[in-house]
Amino acid sequence: MTENFPLSLIILLPLLGAVLNLLLGRRLGNTFVSLVACSAVAGAALVATKAVLLVASDLPMRGALVDQLVSGDWIVAGDFKLQAGLTLDRLSSVMVMVVTWIALLIHIYATGYMEHEPDYARFFGYLNLFTGAMLILVLGDSLPVTFVGWEGVGLASYLLIGFWYHEDKNATAGRKAFIVNRIGDFGFLIGICLLFTVVGTVKYADFSSIAAKLMTPWWMGWPVGYWIAILLFVGCAGKSAQIPLYVWLPDAMAGPTPVSALIHAATMVTAGVYVVARCHTIFDTFPEAAKMTVAGIGALTALMAATIGIVQRDFKKVLAYSTVSQLGFMFVGVGTGAYAAGVFHLMTHAFFKAGLFLGAGSVMHAMGGEGDIVKMGGLGKHMPITRWTFFVYCLAIAGIVPFAGFFSKDAILAGAFAAEFRMAGNMAPWQASLVALYPKLLWGMLATAALCTAFYMWRLYFVVFTGEFRGTKEQESHLHESPSSMTLPLVVLAVGSVLAGLIGVPAIMTHGLPESAEHLFTFFTSWLSPAMVPASPEPHEHWLEWALMGGALTISAVGIGLAALLYRGGISQRAEGLKKSLGVLHGLLWNKYYVDEIYDVLLVRPLRRVSGLLWKVVDNIVIDGGLTKVGPFFVDIFGAMAQRFQNGDVQRYIIAVMVGTAGILFGSTYYLAYQGIQGELKIDKRTVTLKLGDVRMRPGQLIYAIDWDGDGKFDETNVRFNSELKHEYGNAGEFKIVVEARDPVWNMVKRSDDWFFGANTPLSAKVE
Amino acid sequence: MIAVAASDFASFDLASLLASAAPASVQEVAASSLSPTGWTPAWAFWILSALVVIGAISTIAQRNLISAVMSLVATFFGLAGLYATLSAHFLAAIQVLVYAGAIMVLFVFVIMVLNRDEAERVSDRGLLDKAVGAGALVYLAVRLGEVIASPVGPMSRMSKPPADFGTVSKIGEYFFTEFLFPFEAISILLIIAVIGAVVVARTVVSRTTTGYELPNLAEHAGEGGQGGADAAGGDAAHGGH
Amino acid sequence: MQQLVQNLLAVGLHHYLILAVVLFGIGTFGVFMRRNALTTLMSIELILNGGNLTLLAFARSHQDMRGQALALLVIAVAAAEAAIGLAIVVGVFRNRHNTNIDELNLLRY
Repeated sequence: MTENFPLSLIILLPLLGAVLNLLLGRRLGNTFVSLVACSAVAGAALVATKAVLLVASDLPMRGALVDQLVSGDWIVAGDFKLQAGLTLDRLSSVMVMVVTWIALLIHIYATGYMEHEPDYARFFGYLNLFTGAMLILVLGDSLPVTFVGWEGVGLASYLLIGFWYHEDKNATAGRKAFIVNRIGDFGFLIGICLLFTVVGTVKYADFSSIAAKLMTPWWMGWPVGYWIAILLFVGCAGKSAQIPLYVWLPDAMAGPTPVSALIHAATMVTAGVYVVARCHTIFDTFPEAAKMTVAGIGALTALMAATIGIVQRDFKKVLAYSTVSQLGFMFVGVGTGAYAAGVFHLMTHAFFKAGLFLGAGSVMHAMGGEGDIVKMGGLGKHMPITRWTFFVYCLAIAGIVPFAGFFSKDAILAGAFAAEFRMAGNMAPWQASLVALYPKLLWGMLATAALCTAFYMWRLYFVVFTGEFRGTKEQESHLHESPSSMTLPLVVLAVGSVLAGLIGVPAIMTHGLPESAEHLFTFFTSWLSPAMVPASPEPHEHWLEWALMGGALTISAVGIGLAALLYRGGISQRAEGLKKSLGVLHGLLWNKYYVDEIYDVLLVRPLRRVSGLLWKVVDNIVIDGGLTKVGPFFVDIFGAMAQRFQNGDVQRYIIAVMVGTAGILFGSTYYLAYQGIQGELKIDKRTVTLKLGDVRMRPGQLIYAIDWDGDGKFDETNVRFNSELKHEYGNAGEFKIVVEARDPVWNMVKRSDDWFFGANTPLSAKVE
Repeated sequence: MIAVAASDFASFDLASLLASAAPASVQEVAASSLSPTGWTPAWAFWILSALVVIGAISTIAQRNLISAVMSLVATFFGLAGLYATLSAHFLAAIQVLVYAGAIMVLFVFVIMVLNRDEAERVSDRGLLDKAVGAGALVYLAVRLGEVIASPVGPMSRMSKPPADFGTVSKIGEYFFTEFLFPFEAISILLIIAVIGAVVVARTVVSRTTTGYELPNLAEHAGEGGQGGADAAGGDAAHGGH
Repeated sequence: MQQLVQNLLAVGLHHYLILAVVLFGIGTFGVFMRRNALTTLMSIELILNGGNLTLLAFARSHQDMRGQALALLVIAVAAAEAAIGLAIVVGVFRNRHNTNIDELNLLRY
């Protein structure tokens, strides 16, 4: 069930804004730039909203709006034909709404945040480019179209991380993001190719019917669906910063803060989660090892990043690790089959994480670009709006009821606890028990990560907004609340962080409520109903579900309490003491488990060494020393030959023209006559058939004279061209045959007994 | 009666020549020989083509350039006559006006400016090349002549053209309909040629900071004299000789 | 003999074409034999007129006036060519005091 709708408008508006801003923005001034950028995204948001309302009201559960992006075929290669289309169903609706509206808020915020930026137009051009690419990613109706957007957001991310490229550090961070993403994208691309090779389709609409083909055994005894899923997940791990490809995201904070909020927190990095949910048929392939991998890596990432976040001092770094950690939560969600929960957390996270980053931006704006939280403190007095909105976000991310993060995180935790991975039946008992224990392990890791999350977020809050100011006097005098263009998005996002969770309340909490209220509170659950994505696993017993919920809430409260104990009113002595007594652990976390250093030793340095070797040996010696000498050698020879003709003497030139013309005239007419005397003999008793000339010759194009008996006199003359000539001999013997062909137009004569280019076979007939 | 009028050949034979003496047909023959669309006397072709060939040979053979130009003028007059025998009266007139008139005058002017005879007509450099070229040329001409004269070549049928063939109005009609674009293009070409000729041939103008100024002509002539003193015996720059 | 007389008297298209070939040949010969640039230009005029003659002969033979229109365009192009060519000769003479084209060979390797 599909319906046409101009979805391409949603994409084209931001892209048009990007073109206008990048080409003309610098000339037309900042007002124009911000107007174009914001109105382009606002237009896209309005069209998207209209489309989503259509999806909600007019279409059945699995229905979708469709549109063509490229008329006719997009890619044609042999039998492979692919159309580029857009599709909007209930899953992409969630993403489109998040992307367009949060992008709009951040665009508005950026008009204030970037007001002193000299390269204003370039910034908004890139930001619009990102929005357009992200919408292609989300709306694409097949993996290749999504891949176009996928690469587009990667490009925009690279450009924006290195936006202040005058500083080497920023440019390096941009390159790092690009290269790490490239590794992931390579896997993603191979996954798409493998999917097409084995299954024959890459369109999402066909995915519902490919499950059987995905079961084809492929490599190492695993079904092909497993490998496709793993390859796609490599791409998702790159884009969504999961182990082992997460290292780029903390460095990506080198970009302007609105960029961090939009790209590296709310939208782009969640693309991996979206793709996993989108391709759930592939990830659901039996046995569900792919899902176990996804969930396992997600949980590991969540825990690892959360622990790193505890000790970091840079405001945005803490938030970056928090993002990595929360993305891990989402992957556990989609990995345990709780697709709706994962996407739900994606949505709520977009609100509060965007808000946290914008709050960070607001603080750093006031601090004059300072990002070290140890030099802040007591900022709550100076910037109340920022403080209280930040308070709300921290409650939301810590998972305090009824804020957004509580419901989505609870859904993931419950899903992880109750998940059952379907594996092959012939496992050893220890393997079976491991598989059965695996969800509980995931739950445990996530619960620990949630504890860390609550702790480091509230540590951040207390250190920055409470206590005494620890920066310089000059910084203190400049402390001020940000302009309304910045605080307005903060407030809107805070409201979203409060309310967004309330549309996905677990069913057990809504029992006994009026039907309309129940409908509202379970809106998200029914929106992504089992018809859309498989149902999330849930604990069978109500008491267990309540217990899990209470447990999660307790964990969050403990985390907040610990943070308050150590950091309320500034960094306490106890915190410093703890840091000293746990020096080794602190060092490990402070250095982020030395992952960057390990990568440096294992990958970067060997690669550099090999590259250096190739440069010095292959490039300098083999190519520059040998190969580049070969071409010039021949060029010299032919040049020396050719330059003799270019002697500058026009008289010789015209002589050459004459000789050439005469040569062409002679050659072409000679060749015709020459072909005319080529022939073969067929002898049947005394009748000889002579087949002459070429099949392409017309009758009468050549005139023949034939001497059948070799006596020097022509027996027949003026014979018009006819491919076969017959002669009957009166007596037996061997006769020499001479043929003369004459071109009647050009008067070229050729005899078959010429010494020069005669007939290829001497013509002689031996008759009985 | 004679059959000239019905002949497919733009020709005339002895019989008609003789017959033209007869009083009864004088008027008819005279009318047809004067008629722009009628047949052409063969002797006219032969005389004119002899003039053309001799003039052309003389043009490339004369040592004196003025004599060469005069030979060329004669050639062009002969060609104009030939054009007339082909019912191209307007083209014949243009040939005389443009070629024999304008272009030849231009040549004469240039020869006057240069005012030199050749020391040697043919350079002794690359004589072998020239022999090869001449051979190729003769070969080409003979082969082309063979084709033209061969029975399957262009036959010599020249039927009587319509009454308005070759008239100015007919040509004008073509130029304002089918040939409108080439006509306009050729006008642009001529303008470009005029400007180009002026730019290429004018006296050297040096550019100064205040704009364009005529150079010191005497100084310039002096430069020229130094540059080509060995080569230019009768050069205008050495007017003192 | 009678054949020859007949051929001489029955002047037709082929006579004009052969004359054109001769004219073209003389012109080309002049271009590559003579060293004076002015003679070369005059020879080029001969070549162009040979071409014109074929155009007009065919126009007459086919009774198609377009041949004549084309011939007029050729004359215009020839006039332009003569003007530019002579201007170049004058310019070259001014610089080198010499119009021998076999010595004007700077445009080479």
